[in-house]
Amino acid sequence: MVKKVNNPLKIDFQKCIIEGRLQQILPKHITSEPELINIWTIDINPQDSKYFIAFIRRNIKETDPISLLHLKRIQKNPNDKSLLKLILCSVEYIADREDIIKLLESIEKKTPNGNVEKIQYTNLNKDLKVPKEPPITRELINEWSKKFWPMVWNGNPNDQILNDYIIDMDSIRGKLDIISKQSQSLAKSNEIPVVSLFVNPLDPLNHILSIDQRNSTSGCQLDHSIMNGIKKVAEDEVKRRKLEQEAKESNNYREKTYLCLNFDVYTTHEPCSMCSMALIHSRIKRLIFIKPMEVTGSLRPESGHGYCMHANKNLNSKYEVFQWIGDEYPVGSVENYTCC
Amino acid sequence: MMTLDTPSSSSSSSSSLLISRKDAHIVMGYLHYERMKLAIKLARYALDHNETPVACIFIHEPTNSVIAYGLNATNHSLTGVAHAEFMGIEQIKNLVGPHHLMDFFKDVVLYVTVEPCIMCASALKQLNIKKVVFGCANERFGGNGTVLHINKDKALLNAPSLPKAESASYEAIPGILRKEAIMLLRYFYVRENKSAVTPRNKAERNLDKETFPDLIWSTYIDRETFIQEFGSAQSIHYENNSDLMSFNDDIDWSLIETPWDDIVEDLNEKCQSFNMIQRKKSKLETV
Ligand SMILES: [Zn+2]
Ligand SMILES: [Zn+2]
Repeated sequence: MVKKVNNPLKIDFQKCIIEGRLQQILPKHITSEPELINIWTIDINPQDSKYFIAFIRRNIKETDPISLLHLKRIQKNPNDKSLLKLILCSVEYIADREDIIKLLESIEKKTPNGNVEKIQYTNLNKDLKVPKEPPITRELINEWSKKFWPMVWNGNPNDQILNDYIIDMDSIRGKLDIISKQSQSLAKSNEIPVVSLFVNPLDPLNHILSIDQRNSTSGCQLDHSIMNGIKKVAEDEVKRRKLEQEAKESNNYREKTYLCLNFDVYTTHEPCSMCSMALIHSRIKRLIFIKPMEVTGSLRPESGHGYCMHANKNLNSKYEVFQWIGDEYPVGSVENYTCC
Repeated sequence: MMTLDTPSSSSSSSSSLLISRKDAHIVMGYLHYERMKLAIKLARYALDHNETPVACIFIHEPTNSVIAYGLNATNHSLTGVAHAEFMGIEQIKNLVGPHHLMDFFKDVVLYVTVEPCIMCASALKQLNIKKVVFGCANERFGGNGTVLHINKDKALLNAPSLPKAESASYEAIPGILRKEAIMLLRYFYVRENKSAVTPRNKAERNLDKETFPDLIWSTYIDRETFIQEFGSAQSIHYENNSDLMSFNDDIDWSLIETPWDDIVEDLNEKCQSFNMIQRKKSKLETV
């Protein structure tokens, strides 16, 4: 985590634009009403808190699907000032009371005379409701802290997200140049000029280029460049694993590629609902597109039905999306009803 | 019991059904169940072969023929997009050629055990499918109402590739053999979780055979469509968010607890006999 002032990238935190070129694509948030979730809490003795904190750091923080970092983990118990109230984890992570009890039984502490003993707690329940995500303004955080549970103000959470993006502008420009040139040459020969490029983090130099093939002899209506790229990644991985098997002595084994996990994908046109969802299924990390599709696009809140597929809170996985807003990389044009 | 057979024999059996049961809705409902049974059997087959028990069959409506089938292959293939629907689409592509898909799909009805995900719902829409019938909701990714309403959206409204405006939107009918579809998924997750390191919760660990979520019909279709499909006699279920009774008052345990080893062979035969009829027809047309 770098401090904002030390970030070498120029970031416009108001407009969410990096280096004047990469527009972060986000759903329009309605944050005045928080989405509430239930969490497990227990009451503990103040002198035991360090054991619980260590336990949470070890066993819960990384694995709980809900980040609770915006909440203060420990509070004075309002009913009994001699006790502390502690947040264990989300109910989404562990739903069952028996499982929680089993987990808590594994916490041990050393007494001053060297004995190991089980730790005590009371009042285990999942009645407390807290906001699932932090709000974007300081005013709201004060309001929510009073209403639900004390929260930590870390600034607009999206500022931190913007600041934490790992962005290599030169590499991005190089990739966009490739798809832009390919798109223009397809347009010249009257092909559908939609092009995508898949970059595997395990093998970043061998990118996979794919084009729209719905008009080719063997292609059908669904052979969009993204779908073709996803299939090509799988085919290449099958080949690679076979080669690796054959050359058993060689020592350049590589970790297996799982789906398109953590891939960066570059595409000329904003993808349709099929393709944007296919990228969710494929677990990519980031998509950068050039041309928005007003009717069929499924990423920008202004496109189509505003699905914002990459950040739809009803879907349990997400990817980063940026639109390149410079005019350095022209692409062939397609009709606005075309699904890309 | 009526079974779906080759087109010639099925047309005779469905007409005798028309005589014995006067209500056309009962016939339609019956057809829905008979077709979905094939998909459920195929899903059970998938379960027995260590895949997610999601399966589908495609019906050519004018001839009441099975033309393609699909099962989920995401565990075996290396992509996250090898869903049952795509396997069936690929078969139909081989049947009619890649550039006649849309014209053909306007007569095609899909029976799938689990609601199509957003990706598949969109693919089916872009192919201009006639209708989708499914068993249970896809809670995480459902694209026919549960998460998004892809089948009713307006993204393809002006596409000139479609015969007429709005024809790309399709109805997706839920609830056919719903509990059976849910039970197959539960079998799968219980099995998966036995090998998991940390047990997540009790419901996933122990097989629940009794409780089922409500079927909220209005999430998927309006009242009018429901009555068109099942008749007004059933409309109480629309109000009560309950399963249709006449075909499905209890779970058909034998359907989901039998390994249907021959189902793929059966379906291949059905698809092939449709294929032969197609070829004969196109030969006649060219003569
Ligand atoms: Zn697409
Ligand atoms: Zn799907």
